[in-house]
Amino acid sequence: MKHMQGARPEMKLDRRLFLGASAAASAVLCAPCVLADGHGRPRVVVVGGGAGGATAARYIARDSRGAVDVTLVEPTRSYYTCFFSNLYLGGFKEIGDIGHTYGGLTAGGVNVVHDHAIGVDRTARTVTLAGGSVLKYDRLILAPGIDFVEMSVPGWDISSQNLMPHAYKAGSQTELLKARLMAMPDGGVFAMVAPPNPYRCPPGPYERVSMVAHYLKANNPTAKIIVADPKPKFSKMALFQEGWANHYAGMIDWIGEEFGGGNVGVDPAAGTLTIDGEKTRVDVCNVIPAMKAGRIADIAGVTDGNWAPVNAADMSTRADPDIHVLGDASQQGDMPKSGFSANSQAKVCANAVRGALTGSRVFPAKFSNTCWSLIDTNDGVKVGATYEATEEKIARVDGFISQTGESAEVRRVTYEESESWYAAITADMFG
Amino acid sequence: MRTWAGFAKNEEVAKTAPAFTVAPQVLAIRGDIEYGAYLASGCITCHQPGGNTDGIPPIAGLEAGIFVTALHAYRQKHRDNPVMQLVAGRLTDDEIAALAAYFETLGK
Ligand SMILES: Cc1cc2nc3c(=O)[nH]c(=O)nc-3n(C[C@H](O)[C@H](O)[C@H](O)COP(=O)(O)OP(=O)(O)OC[C@H]3O[C@@H](n4cnc5c(N)ncnc54)[C@H](O)[C@@H]3O)c2cc1C
Repeated sequence: MKHMQGARPEMKLDRRLFLGASAAASAVLCAPCVLADGHGRPRVVVVGGGAGGATAARYIARDSRGAVDVTLVEPTRSYYTCFFSNLYLGGFKEIGDIGHTYGGLTAGGVNVVHDHAIGVDRTARTVTLAGGSVLKYDRLILAPGIDFVEMSVPGWDISSQNLMPHAYKAGSQTELLKARLMAMPDGGVFAMVAPPNPYRCPPGPYERVSMVAHYLKANNPTAKIIVADPKPKFSKMALFQEGWANHYAGMIDWIGEEFGGGNVGVDPAAGTLTIDGEKTRVDVCNVIPAMKAGRIADIAGVTDGNWAPVNAADMSTRADPDIHVLGDASQQGDMPKSGFSANSQAKVCANAVRGALTGSRVFPAKFSNTCWSLIDTNDGVKVGATYEATEEKIARVDGFISQTGESAEVRRVTYEESESWYAAITADMFG
Repeated sequence: MRTWAGFAKNEEVAKTAPAFTVAPQVLAIRGDIEYGAYLASGCITCHQPGGNTDGIPPIAGLEAGIFVTALHAYRQKHRDNPVMQLVAGRLTDDEIAALAAYFETLGK
């Protein structure tokens, strides 16, 4: 952009021409530039407008100041964040508080296409959309989040999600789970089938249990919560268990791997859950199945098993250097699958992609994550870490976690931090 | 020596802060603003550009000297938020200077 400033006084160009001239100038000046054949500006297509994709699209468009043509493909017109969706279940948020639209991205120069990517041709470097359009790319960024592994919970498939909601993609599913919770009979049973590792938001199911308990304590205090878990332990376990004992004594029954929590089956029509051979009728059954990368990553041929392995330095896939995968869909190493992580990875990726396409400076990859969880009113906890890129993976450098027995004041401040974080990250994603 | 008295824009934070000083040669480092802008993208995931100062304070527009002193205080664990100790703990003196230079430009 330096030559741009120098050129400003003499050349009376309108902004569009000006940006075009600047892109052409950088093409001449910088060796690593790649310009799309016959098109002028290099093209980036981003698939998925969530924590990873929206951030990447916004940063590339903003920082390249028009030198890169950025298209974001996202089917939904309103994105509901999974983060804070548990707080909606607990009654701390309205559904509208967690919904976001894409107007800020379009204003920021991103071409937002509300459609579904259904095909990727890596030789022609094109993405095909369900509506029939074909988009050319120089770099493709896939951030499709997760899909569910079929038959991972025997008896459950996507056609039963209305009877037994997952609420692990936010929006209508979250509203349904809340409606079910509110309609529970007095003294009824809320069951959760927790997912196996790796899955999005490691503390997410347990924050949900806390928020459901918070709601029930006030509205249906004799109700019970059963959690069938295939894992022997879980994220922030000591903190959650301490909180459950303090706030919701006797309400929550967590059945871990050792007690058959992984040996489950459901009958959605009958409303039953079978844990280790014992069948129980439950009033609400929140089934959170095993997860895998959003299907488009598989279609693009960049997955190995359930996830897409990536290079830590720029989030490019091991399978194809021109395709990057961000967020939950990626297999990157030590970072948890979180919105914070996806946003952090997006910034590293955006810097690297812009550098490759326009010759701008590329800085070392630095990643971080902090996940806050709310256990009860003003009882917030957090876990976080910093990460760096190695040849092999995104590697953890250092971290911290809230302590059991912290003062109410520390917990209140921690909760307030999470409110600030939510406002900041959603502004960072959507402009 | 410059004594850190707290965030110019955030008296709440200043009130709880210990006295802490940073060597003049460290304060004199000229920050690389472009690198600072990149590093700053990691800060604004949590620090809003403005608004409510409950929870995480806004940092855009802070005077560079105040910013540098605060980050060094976190790095040496003279201030006690574990997230900030972690963040500051992996920044070099030059990176702190780069961030400070960038955030100061946002106030202009
Ligand atoms: C209950 C719960 C609580 C959580 N709490 C937190 C929290 O407190 N903090 C935190 O950091 N994280 C939290 N998370 C995790 C966080 O929501 C995810 O890790 C994050 O959203 C991942 O970002 P992503 O960009 O990979 O995917 P997503 O944000 O899911 O975005 C993917 C997008 O891609 C779109 N898409 C998919 N396929 C296609 C296609 N073929 N074509 C076009 N578009 C497509 C989808 O519509 C979607 O909008 C929570 C998750 C849950 C479920």
